[in-house]
This record gives sequence, C-alpha cells and structure tokens, in this order.
Amino acid sequence: MNTKKLALLALLVSIVSPVSQAQIKHIEMRVEGMT
Amino acid sequence: MKQHLGRQSGVQNVEVSLIDGKVEVTPKEDGQIDPVQLLKATYDSGVTAAEMNMTARGKIVKDSSGSLALQVEPHRSFVLTPNELSKGLEALVDTPTMVTVRGQLYKKPAGKKKADASVPLKLLIFEVHKNE
Repeated sequence: MNTKKLALLALLVSIVSPVSQAQIKHIEMRVEGMT
Repeated sequence: MKQHLGRQSGVQNVEVSLIDGKVEVTPKEDGQIDPVQLLKATYDSGVTAAEMNMTARGKIVKDSSGSLALQVEPHRSFVLTPNELSKGLEALVDTPTMVTVRGQLYKKPAGKKKADASVPLKLLIFEVHKNE
C-alpha cells in the first residue's frame, strides 16, 4: 500500500516539477526621465 | 518609482540605480509577475521605460499561430522574435527540455514616449542556457 502511494507521489512530482521550475527569474529595465 | 514597482503583484525586490537609469526587479517565486504591468507601473510613476530585458526559464512551445514561444507559466508564454538563437530552439518544441534564456522584451520605439500596452511583448533572445 505504501509503495503504491510512494509511486503515485513520485509520478505526481515528476509531472508537476518541470512546470513549477519554469518562471521569470529576473527583469532589468533601463529608464529615462528619472530624477 | 521603487515603491510603485514594489507594490506590483509578484515583485520581491526592486533596486534602482539613479546614476545609470537601471531598475532591477527580482520576482517572487509565485509566478505572478507581469512584465506588461511593470511597464505600465513604470510609466505611471512618471518615467519612461526605454528597454526591458528578462531572464526566464521555461519550455519551448508553438502558439496557436505557429510561432515559437517560451512558456514560463502554464498560462503565460512569450512569443520569440525570430533570430539565429530562436532557430536553434525549434528542435525543443513540445519536449520537456527546460531552457533558461536572457533577452529583450521591450524597446521603446524611436520618437514614442509611452509603451503601447496593446502590442504583445516579444522576446528577442540574447543568450540561451540549456539545462535539462
């Protein structure tokens, strides 16, 4: 029973993790008119 | 402007350099940051965004019109401006391979003062780091 749960958990993690790793890491802007 | 941008959804930290006119935005990991809203907030704070560069990690997909895009969230992707680097990513379409890219999302058109929010931002890739 526990093995089945662990296998299911591992499967869910493998499906979800690539999407959750995707993200905007950093944004840099150059602006004009700043005082 | 720092406070104005810092209030935007998904923004963790904002660093402003008055000397060279650079603004560094660190996003939260919640994926809520929206570059279009940042451009709008920048303009609303009384300054003009001349250029916006972004580093992002995601998967290469094709959008409904067949253009290459970088998907950074399940429902957010940026169409890639075709160049040599984007051509090299075509083989990764719809594969689980994640790439980290750095590129230009916005550059102020000559003679215009305000960013046109109706025009979707396109990502012109400068650098590609394949990770998986």
